[in-house]
Amino acid sequence: MIALLRSEWRKVTTIKLGWGMLLGAMALAALGVVAQIASNGTPGTGVPPLSDPETQKSIAASASSAYLFSVVVGIILITTEFRHFTSRPTFLLEPRRGLVIAAKAVITAGVGLLYGIACVVVSLAITVPWLSAKGVHVDWVANGLVVVMVGALFVVAIFAVVGLGVGVLFRNQVAAVISALTYLFVVEPLVAIVPVVREGYRYLPGGAAAALTGAARVQTTLLPNWQGGLLLLGWGLLFAFLGWILTVSRDIP
Amino acid sequence: MSTDSAAVEGRIVASGLTKVFGQIKAVDGLSFTVEPGSVTGFLGPNGAGKTTTLRMILGLAAATSGTGTISGVTYAQLPHPGRTVGAVLEATSFHPGRSARNHLRVFCAAAGLPDKRADEVLEWVGLTQAATYSVRGFSLGMRQRLALATALLGNPRVLLLDEPANGLDPEGIAWLRGLLRHFADVDGRTVLVSSHVLSEVEQTVDRVVIIAKGRLIYEGRLADLEGASAGVVVRSPTLDQLRAALAPLHVTITSRLDGSVAVVGATPEAIGRAAWEARVELHELRAGSSSLEETFLRLTADPTGTLEASA
Repeated sequence: MIALLRSEWRKVTTIKLGWGMLLGAMALAALGVVAQIASNGTPGTGVPPLSDPETQKSIAASASSAYLFSVVVGIILITTEFRHFTSRPTFLLEPRRGLVIAAKAVITAGVGLLYGIACVVVSLAITVPWLSAKGVHVDWVANGLVVVMVGALFVVAIFAVVGLGVGVLFRNQVAAVISALTYLFVVEPLVAIVPVVREGYRYLPGGAAAALTGAARVQTTLLPNWQGGLLLLGWGLLFAFLGWILTVSRDIP
Repeated sequence: MSTDSAAVEGRIVASGLTKVFGQIKAVDGLSFTVEPGSVTGFLGPNGAGKTTTLRMILGLAAATSGTGTISGVTYAQLPHPGRTVGAVLEATSFHPGRSARNHLRVFCAAAGLPDKRADEVLEWVGLTQAATYSVRGFSLGMRQRLALATALLGNPRVLLLDEPANGLDPEGIAWLRGLLRHFADVDGRTVLVSSHVLSEVEQTVDRVVIIAKGRLIYEGRLADLEGASAGVVVRSPTLDQLRAALAPLHVTITSRLDGSVAVVGATPEAIGRAAWEARVELHELRAGSSSLEETFLRLTADPTGTLEASA
């Protein structure tokens, strides 16, 4: 297993996949922070002032937007193997396919976690000096901001594993990325607003993630924080299981 | 072919291998044996099912029925598959953005081999100079060499190479030939080489397994394939008289593109005597050893013409 983890980690570090995606994720997180702080206090928005813990939580949750990138990275890490047939030497050297997928899931989650950490660092680097310049006092622990940020890391890492499962399912990189992003950008937001199915949103991956980070951007009730975290973990395990069962049962191209 | 001692170290045995994709039988009840210490050619036209067969033997694809074993066990049952079997399935298993050395190191890690092994195999295949370049810029010949290097990482005693000569220049083919002969003759390894061009491997292989449309056409020594089917090339200005003269020999006569005929079922001596006795003028009379490629093409074009090995 150690050998497989080393092999999978080397696969990540020996190609130039990460940097563009990582910069994109950091830029999106920064944008979320800047937009919320800059627009705060604009009359008519109804957003509580920067001193309000809810506003601070929402700013702290900006890093979780990196899940849009980590899901794509998870997809790419696995589909690139099918696309370039590196899956062949991989499964020839370790025919126990379940072990390979387990190693891949661990490394994919780790890469997702690194994305999350980079985005949390970026959002802190903007938030801390800016708010202190504005004279806003922030109590990171008492206001639950630390919990939000840890939650954001968890969300980004789990979505990378979701991407792995989606990638195994589709195998085709373009089809997998388009399907995942269509789901996250179109299907879930629609579910969140359509009256009849709206109540189900909280159980979806995006709804569980929103509950965990407390980023209340929707008009429907979310689960309590810890339940959202558990549910998201369940989604991650489900997609990891999907990746496992499809890999052991289907032929390797 | 006897299968009573299928557990010989390094022996590859396909037994009734069948692979069905939807309605199509890509591989149909294929059985053959590949012995250690020999180079065996695995021949057939493109789409004959060669790669699918190799994928089943290597455990990448599940057989619809039948089994493929190496040293008596399935691939998944091998204790150290990476150190027992080296395989190349078409020279395409690289990420284009990864350097040759990093590609090999990824798999060194997976096989639990030291990183210096990557540089060793790169030297073996003559890619030391290109070690740090991305595979993206590699020619097909260089990719073949890198694919072979990947297969050699674990110093395996069984090699399965899919179209390894494809894209190699004549110098590269000669190099590959020497390498494969060395593996089989000196090291006693099992070498199975697939190709859709007989002439590519003709001078390298001891035995051949020929398939077409997923079925076995011929298994045996290449020399026996010639003797059994190549026939005798005969050229005569009076073909009708020739046919009449050869009628008592019960031979099969087929026209060749250049106006001569191929006679199967008699030796050149017997044909020459029959022609001489019937006073038929001959312009050419030779054993058809050079028509091996024709034989191969004819066999694989018509899979019903199954030929038994005379060995």
